[in-house]
Amino acid sequence: MKFRGGSKVEKIAPQMAPMIDVVFQLLIFFMLTLKIVSPEGEFGINMPLSGSTSTDDQPLIPEMEVRVIASPNGELGMLQLNGRNLGNDEQAFLDLTAAVRQIAGDPTEDTASDDLSVKIDPDYDLNYRWFIKTVGAVSGDKLPDGTTVPLVGNIKFAQARQPQ
Amino acid sequence: MRVKSPEPNVAEVDMTPMIDIVFQLIAFFMVITNFENTRADERVKLPIDAIARPIEAPRDKDLVLNVGYNRLADGTIDPDFPDPLVLNTVPDGDVSIDRADSVLAREARGFQDEGTKLEDVTVVIRSDAEVPSGQIQQLIAKAQAEQFTMFAVKAQQAEE
Repeated sequence: MKFRGGSKVEKIAPQMAPMIDVVFQLLIFFMLTLKIVSPEGEFGINMPLSGSTSTDDQPLIPEMEVRVIASPNGELGMLQLNGRNLGNDEQAFLDLTAAVRQIAGDPTEDTASDDLSVKIDPDYDLNYRWFIKTVGAVSGDKLPDGTTVPLVGNIKFAQARQPQ
Repeated sequence: MRVKSPEPNVAEVDMTPMIDIVFQLIAFFMVITNFENTRADERVKLPIDAIARPIEAPRDKDLVLNVGYNRLADGTIDPDFPDPLVLNTVPDGDVSIDRADSVLAREARGFQDEGTKLEDVTVVIRSDAEVPSGQIQQLIAKAQAEQFTMFAVKAQQAEE
């Protein structure tokens, strides 16, 4: 018996146009929603309700008090650690970190010490940026190689003062 | 003489490299798109700090409070609304810090209604760098009055 030709293989041509449409839609969506911003970080603040701490929870190292005094325009007027003036410039924050690190000993662990406690007491009108800078200065020490040594694990805020 | 009919000369476009590139671009944009920041308000100019660390794992329960100013197009604070506001609260919109009690009370009720303990909820404060610190302390005190105990303050990480 003679067959005419072999069975022809049908070549299936996939429809590329709808896929390319969808892919371009996705591309444009992601391009339009893109916002190039620096990543955000944060500091944890422990504010237990008054009366909820027992005497057993008292830390071994006395609580440090950092006072941040504002100038009349809300900028940094004076930074104090336990009543000692540290200044009102960038060096004051480095000195604060050094002093906290000295109290902390030589922390080598990756986690901040919960035995260390700092209460930050800013003037009412102090710009929030100085408040955060103070929190950063007691939270950790940034080394020249870019690594951060965590310091105080227990940061509290004092009661708000009256506006000047 | 037998003449072969010339085959039609159809130029075929090779789509493969283009699709490769487009998929690469889509993957890139998907990875860098920050869906975490959808609750952030663009009016808030966060303070910058080198020590602030990003959270290691997303939280189950948190309450994000954006605190900032109504600003004009040139970035200055709108003189008609000189006081800092808690921005984009639901359903009240922007409210002053003095009136934040009702927002916090409603959020606390919402968490309690869904069976979440308030001590497991972190109140995340994203505040503008120019807000007076006392206003943030007052906001924290109001949140404490509603039995919130865990707080986090946000800062923008300094460029290396």
